[in-house]
Amino acid sequence: MTRTAPLLLVIDDDPVIRETLARELALAGFETLTARDGEEGKDLFARHDPDLVITDLAMPRADGMAVLAAVRRAGRTPVIVLSVRGEEEDKVRALDLGADDYVTKPFSLRELLARVRSHLRRSHLSTVPGTPGVSGVLRFPGLVIDPARRTVLQDDREIRLTPTELAILELLASQAGKPVTLRQIIATVWKGAPATTQDTVRVHVGSLRRKLEPDPGEPRYIGTEPWVGYRFLMEPE
Amino acid sequence: MDVRKAALTWLVSPVAVALLTAVAHRTGANALTAGFLYLILVLGLATGGGWQAGVVASLTATGCYNYYFLPPFGTLVIAEPANWVALFSFLTATTVASRLVVNARRQAEAADLRRREVEILYELCFSLFAASQRPGGLGEAAARTLGALGARSGMLFLDQPAPVSIIGDMGERAPVVDETALEQTRALWSLVETQTDLEKTVYIPLLVGGAFGGILVAQGAAASRKVLESAGRLLALALERERLLAEAAHLEAVQESDALKTSLLRAVSHDLRTPLTAMQLGLEGLGREVAGRPAAEAALREVAREQERLTRRIDNLLSLARLEAGVARPHPEDVAPGALFRAARESLALVLAGRPLEVRVTRDCPDLWADPSLALEIVVNLLENAARATPENGANGQDTSLELAAEADPESGTQGRVRLEVRDRGPGVPAAVKRLLLGPAGAPRGGEGSAGDSRSGGLGLRIAASLATANGGTLVLLDRPGGGSIARLTLPAVPAVLGDPA
Repeated sequence: MTRTAPLLLVIDDDPVIRETLARELALAGFETLTARDGEEGKDLFARHDPDLVITDLAMPRADGMAVLAAVRRAGRTPVIVLSVRGEEEDKVRALDLGADDYVTKPFSLRELLARVRSHLRRSHLSTVPGTPGVSGVLRFPGLVIDPARRTVLQDDREIRLTPTELAILELLASQAGKPVTLRQIIATVWKGAPATTQDTVRVHVGSLRRKLEPDPGEPRYIGTEPWVGYRFLMEPE
Repeated sequence: MDVRKAALTWLVSPVAVALLTAVAHRTGANALTAGFLYLILVLGLATGGGWQAGVVASLTATGCYNYYFLPPFGTLVIAEPANWVALFSFLTATTVASRLVVNARRQAEAADLRRREVEILYELCFSLFAASQRPGGLGEAAARTLGALGARSGMLFLDQPAPVSIIGDMGERAPVVDETALEQTRALWSLVETQTDLEKTVYIPLLVGGAFGGILVAQGAAASRKVLESAGRLLALALERERLLAEAAHLEAVQESDALKTSLLRAVSHDLRTPLTAMQLGLEGLGREVAGRPAAEAALREVAREQERLTRRIDNLLSLARLEAGVARPHPEDVAPGALFRAARESLALVLAGRPLEVRVTRDCPDLWADPSLALEIVVNLLENAARATPENGANGQDTSLELAAEADPESGTQGRVRLEVRDRGPGVPAAVKRLLLGPAGAPRGGEGSAGDSRSGGLGLRIAASLATANGGTLVLLDRPGGGSIARLTLPAVPAVLGDPA
């Protein structure tokens, strides 16, 4: 199927949000489909195979989690969930179940558009330039991570990291722009070792930050996602 | 020895032996037959009259056996040595057999007693635990216990929940309670008995889980000490069960109420944020349409700011409501002060637009150990308040710059804390509020607020103070040297074990 613009599926039970989002996304150059609830959303997803899904979590007739499960069964289509403050557990659960990102209501359109573009770019579907290289070396402005040679260069100066810190940095940087939950870090870096707690992760991230961030007042690389985990803030070069 | 036993021993035994001898002699029974008949008689007498009756019967029978049935007949002389052996065997057999019979009978009686005791306790157990599934009815449980023990009347004293409370008396009439016996039971935690001319009264301690729960007084109880003590333990367990049932019912009610509060807050949160989201998206759309029309753009910017402020207030109030309703507790995480300041500036992008803002975080400043959302709300409120104190289009060349600073709190000593400051160059803290003291409920006293707190800033400040308290922190307002004010927030630092890995 060839499309002139990426196709987005917007699922929200509130008609004002749904229609406003559809209109604004269309003006931003995307094609859009809208669904009133999870059931309709799953149906439209199956029939149209959109490039990205934006879904509310709390909805009648199949909620956002059900939509997420259906999308993940079909493939890797990016999913952004619309969450509400105070329901952080739902947000973390959605991320652990495979959601790519979230925005918290009330969110700004600018913020949502930035996330949409970032995830489309990640899934190699957009025409926006700046796709990360495939050589395995992760390049960011002022920072080069070479997993094969186990080196990290910041402004051409090597930063010495422990193997655990390097593994965490690699994971976050390889998912640049995407929130990574503490559980995902434990599963990847520690292979889910049962004694690993979320505090263990915090200890190593704290240490990594001290070595990596030039200015503690202005974190450039590793952002904290309250309740969730961390997000690598820079876009790849 | 009672009369019946004495009669059996000294009167019935010899007479019965004499009668048997007469019958056996008259019928011409030989020595063997007579010996068996005597043995049966001795066993019968031992069974009915006990060991002594058996011994008397045995000796008498031995004499008669020798006189009438062992040659030479009619004398107590024994001619043949073999007959000595027979006579001695007869005496031994009758004595030992009567002893065995008596022992067996005693054991049967003891077993029967134990059976009856077990039956009593089983019935009590059943009536206390299985028959009643409803909470309450302490008196009922005590009455059942007294009934099972065969007491005529009784009383229940509970030390919990009240120091000493009398639940009530059971039975025909209230028992006469001996205060000394009560005190003794309470001091020794063991059963105490008192005896009057008429009857016995027992004071049974109610012990459960190594604790003393009260005393059951039973008048005229016929059961053994073991049964009384076991019944006391059963009653104590039943009372404990009643208490736990009542507690569970209360807990269930509290949980239901919490669930109700949670779902109510969820619904309110959803219903308030959905229109705010729609408004925000609509405003952004409008912004594009009015581009190039300065007056409309300015008006729209003002509406957008107010919409943002409304969103923040709703967030604040819902956070406070959650904390106060007890459905959410602060969830501390490590928060880097720099990241916190960055998030606060992003939240206030419109308010801070075009205003100089300096951020200073010392290199040795530890991370915070705070609820990230609440910490952000506090800093946003303080920053917003500072911005209000210094309007960006201020007259007379007003300095509108703001400062955000974080450092290890120099006053906290070994107890790690982080000091965050929001500094402005506004008119300063009003003279009346040189120091914003936190009241007992964590709210600033009087609600005067701070510099520039002309409209609703007081609410923001008050909420910030409450949230700081909930996070284990403090908030004070100070005059800034050279003019302006400082909002100083002190929050716990990340625990050493997290902040300084080995």
